[in-house]
Amino acid sequence: MERTQSILRVVRSHYIISLDNDSIGSTTWRPILEIFTQLSDSEIAQIEKKPDAVLKKILTESNNTNSIKTIVARARENARGVQNHITKELWEAVNSMYHLTNKPHLNQKLSGPEALEVVDQLMQQSVLYAGIADITMPRGIGWDFMKLGKYLERSMETVVITDKQCQLFEYDMQQERDLTQWRFLLMSLAGYEVYLKTYRTFKHNNDILHQMLLNEDYPHSVIFSLTRISRYLRDVIKDNESNEKLALMRTFGRLYSKVKYMDPERLGVMDSQAFFKELRNELLVFHNQLEKVFFSY
Amino acid sequence: MAAKTEHFLKDYTYKANNWDEMYDSKAVRKQYSSVFANLQQLDTDSLLSKHNIASELFMNQGITFTVYDNDEGIERIFPFDIIPRIITGTEWQRIEQGIAQRLKALNLFLKDIYNEQQIIQDQIIPASLIASCPHYKREVFGIKVPYDIYVHISGIDLIRGSDGQFYVLEDNLRTPSGVSYMLENREVTKRIFPDMLASNNVRRISHYPVLLHEILLELASTQVSNPRVVLLTPGIYNSAYYEHSFLARQMGIDLVEGRDLVVDNHKVYMKTTKGLEQVHVIYRRLDDEYLDPLIFMKNSVLGVPGLIGAYRKGNIAIVNALGNGVADDKAVYAYVPEMIKYYLNEDPILQNVPTYQLSNPDAMHHVLKNYQNMVIKNTNQSGGYGMVMGNTISEKEWLKAKVIIENNPRNYIAQPIVQLSTVPCFINGKIAPRHVDLRPYALYGPRGIKLVPGGLTRVALKEGSLVVNSSQGGGSKDTWIVDE
Repeated sequence: MERTQSILRVVRSHYIISLDNDSIGSTTWRPILEIFTQLSDSEIAQIEKKPDAVLKKILTESNNTNSIKTIVARARENARGVQNHITKELWEAVNSMYHLTNKPHLNQKLSGPEALEVVDQLMQQSVLYAGIADITMPRGIGWDFMKLGKYLERSMETVVITDKQCQLFEYDMQQERDLTQWRFLLMSLAGYEVYLKTYRTFKHNNDILHQMLLNEDYPHSVIFSLTRISRYLRDVIKDNESNEKLALMRTFGRLYSKVKYMDPERLGVMDSQAFFKELRNELLVFHNQLEKVFFSY
Repeated sequence: MAAKTEHFLKDYTYKANNWDEMYDSKAVRKQYSSVFANLQQLDTDSLLSKHNIASELFMNQGITFTVYDNDEGIERIFPFDIIPRIITGTEWQRIEQGIAQRLKALNLFLKDIYNEQQIIQDQIIPASLIASCPHYKREVFGIKVPYDIYVHISGIDLIRGSDGQFYVLEDNLRTPSGVSYMLENREVTKRIFPDMLASNNVRRISHYPVLLHEILLELASTQVSNPRVVLLTPGIYNSAYYEHSFLARQMGIDLVEGRDLVVDNHKVYMKTTKGLEQVHVIYRRLDDEYLDPLIFMKNSVLGVPGLIGAYRKGNIAIVNALGNGVADDKAVYAYVPEMIKYYLNEDPILQNVPTYQLSNPDAMHHVLKNYQNMVIKNTNQSGGYGMVMGNTISEKEWLKAKVIIENNPRNYIAQPIVQLSTVPCFINGKIAPRHVDLRPYALYGPRGIKLVPGGLTRVALKEGSLVVNSSQGGGSKDTWIVDE
């Protein structure tokens, strides 16, 4: 469900920015398709300039394993399987979102001027889910695992979307960019207002990377998510007796330290492509180990 | 099923002596052809539905004002017309050059008038005109402002005459408002006409807050690496408060009232939970008179005592500079073409509307004789207040107004009534022409003058009316600058 929110926010931001003439990379939906689909280059080329086709692919297509429709259907199946561990209200929130994504006229609306209305509707439902979970779910092991998944997913999203933005700049962080060129990333990760309030220099490249990676008050920064993971990991691991738990903690410790103790002054000059790749791989390794310790033993 | 707008052209009737921006006598103008074709695909119900969506969006975002009826507050939105107004890139280029030229001259005038006053010594502008201007502030004479920039933010009101040319109607150099409507109108258009917007190659305006923020930061002392900028508002009861909060949020700066600031040792500080923090730049949305009770209105509780002292010492930059009102006085307006010639040695790119100074007996005589073809304006008022429209005023009202004007001629100017251009508007389920003006917003910073391509188009929603002010029942619409 965290991914649902992320996709919807990215799609909404891109859709709005794409209506502004001469915005960087906004005339094509290629970056979004590369992040959220497994389409080949030629398949992307066919639809990258057709917003309605892209929206259908990302929001409602059953064949896309990363579409909102597929993700919500899977979340519903999961929720059905653990109904005794989640509250009735939470189940209903997931279920109603599922029915919303299956409404017969959704695709038709995505082809016209009501497209943004559909995205907004889905976003509202997704935010409602987050609020209901927070208000009704008892704190305990179930909650801890939900949060672990949520922050793992969120840190990965931040890494992937930031990496994509840097890729659009050909990883050239030496050339200072106008703030409007970073708008897509900041808006997609709900960070535009935070950025304006926090950073007051013109060194946008460095400051934005700082916000995405190291700003402890920004809920989408990698360090914010890793700090939360650390807390929930400690809670879930304390009663676990498996041999792999020490290896899991070491993997997480390395990952956490890598971000926590990186030199903020070097953000603009580091090899960002290599750094994001490493971070992504280490998050995947941690995820796999986590799954092995708790679910696949 | 509602009727298709196939009668669109048939029903659309405009006056022959008017410049209609969509339609000339032969056909739809090229820049409107795509929008026109789009509108033809829609029926009245679709347009009504878009109108309702737009109203709902304004309401949800809180872009409203409150009217009171039986002690109950009712939230109303400022009227927005859904059909965009279109200006070509070529026309815009001329507007941009004309406004930049005008602002350069007006800025040099302000620097001159608060320092050497060479323009008076050279008898280009009469000293008596400046001396009698209530917005000329002797208290700021000789104060050096950063980069010699006085007019950081301006809104220049333009109208389009029956010859299709743009004319300057008014300069707004103090605290021009309306820019939030320009930005919000575009956001609403993105929601109701996304395809039309995307297919028309419309220039973007969304970077306005970024440009403004950059200029505000650049005005801080160069020795400060992390300057603090605040927006000073009179408070929540001010009619433009929505705009103040909107701009503060868009720039990520603090929105403060006078009571949030304090001056100590000629430096300005903001009260925060962490203690006092120095402020380097104030974007004030407060009139000069209220800014500092030690200097101006003694009973002002909206300002900050000691602020002008800090300003004089160069410890704070205030945007716009104080005393700008002397340059946008309606009587001084008539001298702007001479200013352009005097300071820049250039001919004005944008012309003024012919203006009669009623302090001149000959001009007064002419205006009184021909008042039915004139609009008479109070030089110290804005928003359409104190304005006499000669073509609509009753005999009784005119006799009353005439006495007031004759008793204080310096306070009045007159201009021939210009038939503002018309644009298509969706009103009461029909598409009909309405008169409009245009207020583009210019930003003047250390790196030059920048205009976001567009502006606020204000519409006189009443049929035949030429009064576009929102306080007089006017509305607004999105303005597109399209590249052919």
